[in-house]
Amino acid sequence: MKNDENTGQLVPEEKLFSGVLLLNAKVVGLALGIIFGLGIFVATNWLVIKGGPRVGPHLILLSQYFIGYKVTFLGSLVGAAYGFALGTICGSLMGWIYNRIAAFRQ
Amino acid sequence: MDETSIVIIGAGPAGLAAGYELVSRDKRAIIIERDGVVGGIARTESYKGFSFDIGGHRFFTQNTLINQIWEEMLGEDFFRVDRLSRIFYRGKFFNYPLRPVNAFFNLGLLESFLILISYFRARLLPHPEENSFEDWVTNRFGERLYRTFFKTYTEKVWGIPCGDIKADWAAQRIKGLSLLVAVSNALFGGQQAKSLIGKFSYPKLGPGMMWNRFMEHIVSGGGAVMLNSEVSALQHNYSRITAVSFTGSSTSGQFIPEYCISSIPIPRLVKLLEPQAPAEILAAADKLSYRAFIIVILIVDIAELFPDQWLYVHSPAVRVGRIQNFKNWSRFMVPDLSKTSIGMEYFCNENDQTWKMTDAELVEMATREMTELALGGENKVIDSYVVRQPNAYPVYDSDYKENLGKIREYLENFSNLQTIGRSGMHRYNNMDHSMQTGILAARNCCGETHDLWAVNDEKSYLEEDRSARERVIVPERVLIRVFARMDKLAFAVAVGTVCGLLVLSATLWIISRGGDVLNSHLRLLGQYFIGYTVTVKGGFIAFAYSFFWGFLFGWLFAYLRNLFLAVYIYRIKRKAELMSLKDFFDNF
Repeated sequence: MKNDENTGQLVPEEKLFSGVLLLNAKVVGLALGIIFGLGIFVATNWLVIKGGPRVGPHLILLSQYFIGYKVTFLGSLVGAAYGFALGTICGSLMGWIYNRIAAFRQ
Repeated sequence: MDETSIVIIGAGPAGLAAGYELVSRDKRAIIIERDGVVGGIARTESYKGFSFDIGGHRFFTQNTLINQIWEEMLGEDFFRVDRLSRIFYRGKFFNYPLRPVNAFFNLGLLESFLILISYFRARLLPHPEENSFEDWVTNRFGERLYRTFFKTYTEKVWGIPCGDIKADWAAQRIKGLSLLVAVSNALFGGQQAKSLIGKFSYPKLGPGMMWNRFMEHIVSGGGAVMLNSEVSALQHNYSRITAVSFTGSSTSGQFIPEYCISSIPIPRLVKLLEPQAPAEILAAADKLSYRAFIIVILIVDIAELFPDQWLYVHSPAVRVGRIQNFKNWSRFMVPDLSKTSIGMEYFCNENDQTWKMTDAELVEMATREMTELALGGENKVIDSYVVRQPNAYPVYDSDYKENLGKIREYLENFSNLQTIGRSGMHRYNNMDHSMQTGILAARNCCGETHDLWAVNDEKSYLEEDRSARERVIVPERVLIRVFARMDKLAFAVAVGTVCGLLVLSATLWIISRGGDVLNSHLRLLGQYFIGYTVTVKGGFIAFAYSFFWGFLFGWLFAYLRNLFLAVYIYRIKRKAELMSLKDFFDNF
């Protein structure tokens, strides 16, 4: 860290970077949940709209984890709910772990 | 005469502001002024009906209180002026504040290109330490631009090589370069500062009109302004000023001051003390120097000479530094609009060769230089007048801080003495800052506690002003949060852990459901995670792989996020520095 010779205070550049970012775990969870949920919703409906003899042969594999999920519009809503839940858990966990380590290192 | 009151020495903007504040608070203020007019170095002189300002004083401030007082004092006699000022260099006029296209055409393609090369060279290979003004400017604008626009004029003003001027002088004068202010302006807008460049306010009859109104206000409020009176001694008992002795044109006497506020040059103040200050303090006072200033007024029998309020003359071939055209500040500055009065300004030291020139010699030099500059009106000078102004600019030489510090420390022994203003504090204050020190000193006399030395010290000064505080200081806390760096390791571990847990959970989930586990599509992960199978052991292998890749991704993300923010801040800072080039000389 560079300090001003006269005042002993941090120089402006250092002052701006003097803080360490802490995440709001709930907000990170919510954001990741929305991204996951929307991702599954859009991916499913994209294949539904495209149609074809076999709709979403690979995406249907999600049903191994998301019970009740199908590559249909209704399935997209179920998938979105699962995706939201999973994203929220992952995001919150990520935020929580980050904050704990960052606080420990400070 | 023997009275108890608050004695103010010097009726410049700072002293008058102190007097104004005191009478507003029903205190008796007595101002002792050596000159026959008020205003100090911001006074307006007159000669045969022509009025002229000593140095050209624009009225603008970001301090709402000072602005209100100015408006209240003059009302409709205080009007806005569209600014026009240019730099005269190599026989050409450069728009000022600088405009890139105009500068490009005046400098030519080759010179402009060389300036650019020099600028980038300075950015890539700056001086490692910024000790002098020369280092400071070169690091920001490049060697070539420094030599073109900064060196000659700065050396004319200060009379010493730029290498001998301290870098912190530039840093104090160029407020726009504060990183926090620049970032704040970039994020939240800084229109007010920008608008100050193109316009300013000015009293109808020059700054003297403002100071006369202040004097009237002080006198009508029960105070006194003693013109043509000089303080001869400040008696003290080592902890208080006990008496202020003065001699006037018709009387002399002594005041017993409750408080004493001084705006006279601080070395002179030290020498007025009785008993005498210690030798070390007197020696320090002797080492503080001020730049003097001579203005040669030429009255020309021409209606329009040039349209600018003033010109900066960078040409090294002539000694004149700045040329004022008073009629363009306010048309009421001349009694006859068919004539023009210009002020040829020469920066010098008291008792140097220029200072000692006779008025006739000065007028001859000014007329000759006007001819050399081909401004017009060479043979039409019909009258002239010379004003010498000592102690115009405090010099920030290499030792000033140490010497000023010693004097400050010594003067702090006197509980009822405060120093204010540009000369009083040996500080390069503008009018608004000087007035602010006067107002705060007056408030200190009424029981408040203000640090006068914090005025014009960027952060503290801004804190005095509500609008500026809202614009800069409050967001500072927000800015520090916004630009807080991300902990790369923490983010890497967090992302790695979550990725690892996801893959481990997915594997265990498939195993727990049973069935044809070996044919699960999850086994395809083995193409990337060598050794992975859909088994418990494989789950932990996948955890390790996912943690590793998640860790790398997280670290890179945090690193790039911090880097992009740093680049963003760097760009804002560079932009602020380049913007400051536009009106650099306004800060002189």
